[in-house]
Amino acid sequence: MTHNSPSNVRFSGATKYVLDSELAGIVNVSMALEMPLLLKGEPGTGKTMLAYAIAESLDMPLIVLNVKSSMKLIEALYQYDTLTRLNDSRFGDSMREVSNIDDYIKMGKIGQAFTAPHRTVLLIDEIDKADTDFQDDMLDVLDQMQFDIIETDQTIKAVNRPVIIITSNAKKDLSDPFLGRCNFHHIAFPDPKMMRKIIDIHFPDIDKTLAENAINAFFTMRELDGVEKKPATRELINWIRALNADPDFKSRDLIKGELPFLGVLFKKSPDYDRARSLTPRRRLF
Amino acid sequence: MFITFFYKLKEVGVPVSPTAFLTLQKALDRGLVSTLDDFYTTARAVLVKSERYFDLYDQVFAFCFEGVALPDSSGFEVDEVARAMLDEWLKNPKQLANALGIDPAKLADLSPDELIDYFKQRLKDQEGRHEGGNKWIGTGGTSPVGHSGYHPGGMRVGGESRNKSAVKVANERRYKDYSARGPLTQAMVGEALKRLRNMVPTGPRDEINIHDTIYKTMKNAGEIELVFDRSMRDRLKIILAIDNGGWSMDPYISVVQTLFDYARAQFKEVKTVFFHNTIYDHVWEDPQRYRKPLRVDDFTRRDPETRFIVLGDASMAPYELMAADGSIHVSGRSGKPSIERLRFIAETFAHCVWLNPVQESMWGYTHSIMAISSVFPMFELSLDGLEKAVSRLMIR
Repeated sequence: MTHNSPSNVRFSGATKYVLDSELAGIVNVSMALEMPLLLKGEPGTGKTMLAYAIAESLDMPLIVLNVKSSMKLIEALYQYDTLTRLNDSRFGDSMREVSNIDDYIKMGKIGQAFTAPHRTVLLIDEIDKADTDFQDDMLDVLDQMQFDIIETDQTIKAVNRPVIIITSNAKKDLSDPFLGRCNFHHIAFPDPKMMRKIIDIHFPDIDKTLAENAINAFFTMRELDGVEKKPATRELINWIRALNADPDFKSRDLIKGELPFLGVLFKKSPDYDRARSLTPRRRLF
Repeated sequence: MFITFFYKLKEVGVPVSPTAFLTLQKALDRGLVSTLDDFYTTARAVLVKSERYFDLYDQVFAFCFEGVALPDSSGFEVDEVARAMLDEWLKNPKQLANALGIDPAKLADLSPDELIDYFKQRLKDQEGRHEGGNKWIGTGGTSPVGHSGYHPGGMRVGGESRNKSAVKVANERRYKDYSARGPLTQAMVGEALKRLRNMVPTGPRDEINIHDTIYKTMKNAGEIELVFDRSMRDRLKIILAIDNGGWSMDPYISVVQTLFDYARAQFKEVKTVFFHNTIYDHVWEDPQRYRKPLRVDDFTRRDPETRFIVLGDASMAPYELMAADGSIHVSGRSGKPSIERLRFIAETFAHCVWLNPVQESMWGYTHSIMAISSVFPMFELSLDGLEKAVSRLMIR
């Protein structure tokens, strides 16, 4: 696809993503205002998937920066590979030119998004894992759409402003200046009606009663008291996949309260035990 | 109109910035907003930066664009509290009638809505003549019930089904549970508590320090020298004292339990103890409170750096706190009033807080809460309160 100018692209959903109109509006406003969009919400509400969906529907390359807790901003921008250079200088058997520092500069994810020839979607995933310094430093970079490479005294400017999606699991509060420069949306957990649409998209030929029963069972399981990690959309999809793959399984069993493959829904052993103890034991004969 | 909207948001406590407001103008200028629904989502995405304020935003939006009455400033939550209390009291209509000072027959004639109006009127009156703090309904040892969101059984506010119109959506108050004063979720509790961690290097030097290794290697002109560090471990000790007695704490037990589950994994040592209403000579290690008593006097033998966290509604009859034999359990009578024991604990552990699930605005109405908060720094068991409590605990 050719170069997209910011004003004429509009996002309206993708093949595997059910988009509510509210969110579509917010994505489009953020793209038009060229502001990063910060998404919060429970795990499994489709924050990360949204970036994939935008990239797919607008036909832009997606660059994902997975934020880690110990990450320094510089890693996201570029890396000066001192170790390789040291090795090259000691053993001298590479194709690189030791005296040319540029040969040892590698672009990080933000750097790649800035230098890409086409407009890209830049997903900064789980920003809340990083410390506040990271967030604040990143702001300036995203605001000015440029950064400096100290070693070579170069300034890297964004060729095209990427569409920036930032996700946060609300582990930590983000700083005010950071929030100030983003648009914000909180994705609520899908209600059963929405969930049905999501399931339909993922399993176009699914048996209707199976879908219905599985979704009902799923929402009942989410309501269990004292469950630490509630099953999310991703778990439901995997669960349905597992149910479909089991030739012995009949969807009527779900109504009887027989729930196989609980381990797909509950990933923590106390949760699993809890869920298991509340469903009737499977008969041995 | 938009300016009024902006200032109204600011007034009710949504942190909105002028820059964001200008951004919103930009969006309007560019024709990105053509309907009220567009405006609802756009303005929220641009102005409001946390789901904690979505509920307030919704209320202000409904007020500005449909003239829905804004709950009065005495608290956006007053309706909720009133309803929650009413819920409790409806189980015992006679008590309610007494508290409101009307006779039970007349009470039966009132519709729930009339009752709530009447009740709210009373609540307002009380606020007006609060001096002395003992006129309010519920002083005689009845705990104030209520904190928004914990009473899903209560009557539903704005009970219309989902509709696409923005004003309707705003009226639904979908985000009530996310508000800063709303109920705590497990994740929120865990994350707030993580800040309590106190990392110190311990153990053998078994972690490689890459930065220093590279630096030393450079200094050695390329001859590799490895630098090792000790790993970081958490050494903080915590005592969690949980009030698990009486119905007044019931709604919070699951939250409290979560707090305890999360805390266990995070510290060097977490001891959970239980008590009922207030602490006398003993606290118990078992939730049933009879098998494993721990003497409060023995706390002096513990590390004084231990963080002591109490979770309780601090609501009880004044004599339970003040009288020398105030304990409602016969075995607990030692001749020292509970308030003195609390003071003793607060002196033993320099870092202590009391987390109270009762909404802060209600504290002034209960004598025992006031008394205990003069001994322990008290914080509301809400996200805000927990954060404040944690920063208080981390003061050196």
